[in-house]
Amino acid sequence: MTLSTTPVQVDYGKQIERELKELGEAIAQTPELAEAYNPRWLAIQLLEGDETLLAEVAALNGNAPQILEASIERLEQIYGEDVDVMLADRRYNFVNTLVQGAVTRSTAAGALTASDKIDKIVTHRWLGIPIFLVLMWAVFKITTDVAAPYLDWVDGVVTGPVSNRVVSLLGLIGLEGTWVESLFVDGILAGVGGVLVFVPVLMSLYLALAVLEDSGYMARAAFVMDRLMSVIGLHGKSFLPMVVGFGCTVPAIYATRTLKSEKDRILTGLLVPFMSCSARLPVYILFAAIFFPRYGGLVVFSLYLLGILTAVALGLILKSTLFKGKEQTPFVMELPPYRVPNPKSVWSYMWERTASFIQNAWTIILATSIVIWILMAIPMGGGGKFADTDVNQSAFATVSGAIAPLLKPLGFNSWQASGSLITGFVAKEVVVSTMAQVYGVAEAAEAAETTTFIQDAGQVATSFISATVDTLKSIPLIVGINLFDEEAEEEPGALMGAIHAGFEATSDGHAALAAFAFLVFVLIYTPCMVAVAAARHEFGVRWMWFSVIGQLVLAWLMAFVIFQGGKLLGFG
Amino acid sequence: MLHQVLNEFKSAQGALNLSDLARKLKVEQSALDGMIQFWVRKGRIEDSQLANSPALSAVKGAAPSACSGLSCAGSCPGPQGCPYVMEMPRILSYVKK
Repeated sequence: MTLSTTPVQVDYGKQIERELKELGEAIAQTPELAEAYNPRWLAIQLLEGDETLLAEVAALNGNAPQILEASIERLEQIYGEDVDVMLADRRYNFVNTLVQGAVTRSTAAGALTASDKIDKIVTHRWLGIPIFLVLMWAVFKITTDVAAPYLDWVDGVVTGPVSNRVVSLLGLIGLEGTWVESLFVDGILAGVGGVLVFVPVLMSLYLALAVLEDSGYMARAAFVMDRLMSVIGLHGKSFLPMVVGFGCTVPAIYATRTLKSEKDRILTGLLVPFMSCSARLPVYILFAAIFFPRYGGLVVFSLYLLGILTAVALGLILKSTLFKGKEQTPFVMELPPYRVPNPKSVWSYMWERTASFIQNAWTIILATSIVIWILMAIPMGGGGKFADTDVNQSAFATVSGAIAPLLKPLGFNSWQASGSLITGFVAKEVVVSTMAQVYGVAEAAEAAETTTFIQDAGQVATSFISATVDTLKSIPLIVGINLFDEEAEEEPGALMGAIHAGFEATSDGHAALAAFAFLVFVLIYTPCMVAVAAARHEFGVRWMWFSVIGQLVLAWLMAFVIFQGGKLLGFG
Repeated sequence: MLHQVLNEFKSAQGALNLSDLARKLKVEQSALDGMIQFWVRKGRIEDSQLANSPALSAVKGAAPSACSGLSCAGSCPGPQGCPYVMEMPRILSYVKK
């Protein structure tokens, strides 16, 4: 075998070669340069703008700098482009031609990898969105059906053994039957415990999302959603904050910084809150369990979908009115190859998010629960004294009742519902903790049974085993196979019964419809006070108010259409 | 070759997959990456994974600042960042001159 040793030289084209020759000759005539460098190499470096060499050449005598300047001027006039771009372009062409002629690959050119083959289906123009929706439906099915037994277990532990222990501990220090006991049981345990009950549900949601994220699918979801947004005229990169919005609205609002145009940033910031954040999930799960026990997954899924569709529809309206005439900026995305999810990473994602939720419960929800308990303990109108008053005559009921008439057309004009929505401004989980407080007085009293520590520990352990067995039996529910005994369905708890009765009373017998309208209201109205602060920080006071008022008006209108429209059509 | 790459970015309708683009241009993805990096250096393409990219600091770096102090009211675990922020794919955008 004979190897050719002929030096190969890149052909930069007629014009550039002429300039290189002239410049090379000037370099060759400068002894200091000719001794140190190959003239052609140096000419290329100078044309490409190497600053060190340019300084060196400029410091010497000779006409090279003048020739260089004239060459650059001539070439830029010819090509209308920086000279270094032209040189690099020619080099890439040269290398590409060389590679095409010299390299033989074991696989055919353009052969698809396994990831590419999957992507042909998963990111397909028409199949991409349905696949995304099916996966999301499966996620919510897992979240609602599979996690339900653990939800019941935590609920049983909080309202049973934990309440019992707190009551007996307070009894030991002589506080039994006092307002302190009420604060702990009706305030803190009902409020914080009412939210902590949903930890298994959120863990399963975060687990499912972490598996999708670590497998590389979430990047594809973003790719697919981007296509949808581009089709309806929204900025392609808006998908980034929107995907983040499924976790939490606050970082999603800050993520709008990915968009360069201020108009695009504000528009996306206005739409992000409609992506249902994970804090809303406990509200959905609670109401789905009360009003739609057989279709929980479907109800939760429909709310997430409604959030996306609302954002899309509103985006279209705003894009053709307030945010008219913005050009699209095209972009390319690097999709990572698919991989088997790493258990350690999946656990880490899931745990970090769950820990954040629990931390929230012990800070903001605890504080809000105490404030609500105090407001519920203060008598206003009617008789009673602090912590010994009819809850319907309390300060909280009076304040909440003042706005309740506004919610009458929506079917949930009780002070309990309006009070939960008011406190929901603080954080969406607080809607559940408030409901547990305002509706759950009877249940808390019910829980105060006399049991020993051993009995409680035994109950916790046996109910955990039972929950684990039920969870395993729940897995086939994802594909529609029900292994549970139909007759063995449990009676709803006192809290669930009280909420159902409350909605039944305010909706003239259309409780399910009013409940769905309430869920839509929760989905659409202001996510939380932190999100409002983030919007003010990013977009200014004017847009913050536009967003808050707009969300409230839209939430009211959508809930109105659902309740009144549903009634007209004979639903609920 | 380089201009062909830039033209693909200019004329893209919505998002493009980088590996699809490499196949379309009949080049290895690593070679395409080199050409993209050239345009990034020239300021004609923005790479979301570069440290000074506003995109990266918004998605990854802004979360801790967003969740710091009173503004987050305790819903973030600390300065290591917001756990809800997802790892997003690398995005390369065409920058108009």
